[in-house]
Amino acid sequence: MYTLTGVTKSYQKGRRTVTALKVPELVINDGDWLAVQGRTGHGKTTLLQVLGGLDQPNTGSIILDGHDLTKMRQSQLTKIRGESIGFIFQTFNLIPTLSAAENVEAALVPRPIASAQRHHLVSEALDSVGLGDRARHRPTELSGGQQQRVAIARALVKQPQVLLADEPTGNLDEHTRDEIIALLEQLWRQNQLTLVMVTHDSRIARRAQHLGAMKKGHLTVWPNTHQSPTSHQAPGGRHD
Amino acid sequence: MFFVTYLRRELLGRPRQAAVIAAGLALGIGLVVVVSALSSGVREAQGKVLGSLYGVGTDITVTTAVQPASRSGGFNQITPKPYPRHTDVLTSSTLGTLNASAVSSISTLRNVSAAVSGLVLTEITATIPADNAPPQSSFQPPVQTSVVGVDADHTGYGAFSSARLAAGRGFTAADATANVTVLDSSYASAHRLNVGSTITVAGARLRVIGLVQQNGGSNPPQVYLPLARAQQLAKLTGKVNIVYVQAASAALVGAVTDEISKLMPSAKVTNSANLAKGVAGSLATTAKLANNLGKWLAVLTLVIAFTVASLLTLAAVTRRAREFGTLKALGWRSRRITGQLLGECLALGIAGAVLGIAAGFGGTRLVSTAAPNLSAIVQQANIGKDAFGGDLGANGGVFSGQVGGPVTTYANPSATHTVAVPFHAPITLTAIVLAIALAIIGGLIAGSLGSWRITRLRPAAALASVE
Repeated sequence: MYTLTGVTKSYQKGRRTVTALKVPELVINDGDWLAVQGRTGHGKTTLLQVLGGLDQPNTGSIILDGHDLTKMRQSQLTKIRGESIGFIFQTFNLIPTLSAAENVEAALVPRPIASAQRHHLVSEALDSVGLGDRARHRPTELSGGQQQRVAIARALVKQPQVLLADEPTGNLDEHTRDEIIALLEQLWRQNQLTLVMVTHDSRIARRAQHLGAMKKGHLTVWPNTHQSPTSHQAPGGRHD
Repeated sequence: MFFVTYLRRELLGRPRQAAVIAAGLALGIGLVVVVSALSSGVREAQGKVLGSLYGVGTDITVTTAVQPASRSGGFNQITPKPYPRHTDVLTSSTLGTLNASAVSSISTLRNVSAAVSGLVLTEITATIPADNAPPQSSFQPPVQTSVVGVDADHTGYGAFSSARLAAGRGFTAADATANVTVLDSSYASAHRLNVGSTITVAGARLRVIGLVQQNGGSNPPQVYLPLARAQQLAKLTGKVNIVYVQAASAALVGAVTDEISKLMPSAKVTNSANLAKGVAGSLATTAKLANNLGKWLAVLTLVIAFTVASLLTLAAVTRRAREFGTLKALGWRSRRITGQLLGECLALGIAGAVLGIAAGFGGTRLVSTAAPNLSAIVQQANIGKDAFGGDLGANGGVFSGQVGGPVTTYANPSATHTVAVPFHAPITLTAIVLAIALAIIGGLIAGSLGSWRITRLRPAAALASVE
């Protein structure tokens, strides 16, 4: 469970101080799916980065399962990311020189897992996204949708509690987008993930339990009463 | 192991970048190998020259300058007679003499492992025309032969040590005062002499017991005699004119030189270092080239290679920033990422070393093939041997003056001789180890700079970077 209190993130642009993120209070319960929408440059990605411990806010606290991410050293944040948080990026961020299986395996490197077990987990993860037969292919030999499937397998292979997805279908065509979202939704439900997804696409957002709107760094969250798929859980919290 | 897989994929997956970095390092390393081989070749050539002058195993020679009044052999003033005369004298004309006891004094010094004496002589045979003979009409130029008296008990030092027995036998302790001689094979061949033949030196008939092959380019002695017999024939009993000294180790040569200088202040104490300074000619020019221009060229190339490798690695880190940011997002510690990068750079360094050594071998072979034989011009006065290596009659060395009047003899104190040395540039194990070490250092420098860049990379900023 995430609990954000008084989180702000600002940066200097010349003499001007720009507020990238301002979240007075937000609770995201385990297993929630929060879809955040907003215009480009309004702080959606910054929200994901502070939630993932990739960036530190200027003020406030971000509690994940009792641990305040804002008070942790880099090494501790790295450990949390390696164990509990999975990331999916709009541009997939696969390592071009590695095969699909090796890209997935990269997520298990920080974990003390024996090689044979690691290969088994990688194989399972690729199977779960329907790419068991593409394990040896390099990213350039895969379509955009397949690359994103590899990225999803990479994010989920370590069985994280939290999945942070930054416009995961932003670079995909409509058909592939629907496939990827259906897959994500299935995996979210299957693995009881806490999913925070940034998206420009309202059709995708409608599937989430909670909707968030980002405007000039301010986040407003409300329950999605018109959720397309089956409702999963009651809203954990909201605010701007 | 994922580390190796990732490393292999990166190097093979970005071949152009890897090739440029490895080639840059290889260029620098190759040049270091060539320059190092050139230096070794020059040292080897200098060693050959010095060896031909000293003999093998000698670190230091001790001689004294010749005193004009003390020239032995009684050949300074020849008074013409009314009838022609044949003279055959054995003289120490380029070196002053030392008491034979000097050897014992030197051998008692600390750090001296051996001291052996020798007598470097010249036999001059000439026919002095009658004083009433028409000028120039019957004058025959003098013939001189280089003769060296060697300690029959210690033939492993001095001039005789670099000679290789071709026929017969060498000296033994029993030969000390015997009428025996060992000849240079070229000299013997020119005079149709062989083992068992007889020659006359200073009026004594000597039996040839052996022939030796020597480096002709170094103008070696032509006749070897047992030391005691040489002293008798040169009328220098109890005298020597050169002492060959071997130090306990190469590192102690300087210290032993100083000690001998203190013991014998008037003596000329020469070691390979100060003898090498007296060597001129193309060998000296090559040495200067290798030691000055070559060394700085290699250093400059290395600096450029290291800089290029570092800049390319930094550029690669910048280009791969998103990749490293992704790895950080996946939970990779900075230490693991920098280790990966260092591994890549190390592998490129090793590849650079292999290519560089190969290039070095090629370059060295090219230099060895293209390089002409070197020559070393050596001041004879500094040598202490082969004082009259050439035809001094032709060179205007020994005899001059007005025939028909008093004939004055002198040795040209600034005479030189040229030693031809075939040039060979060997690649030593040290050079190869140095090349590998330099390449690895180059790779690590580049990797460290890249690693420093990675540790400063904020994950969020890295992920936002554009590839």
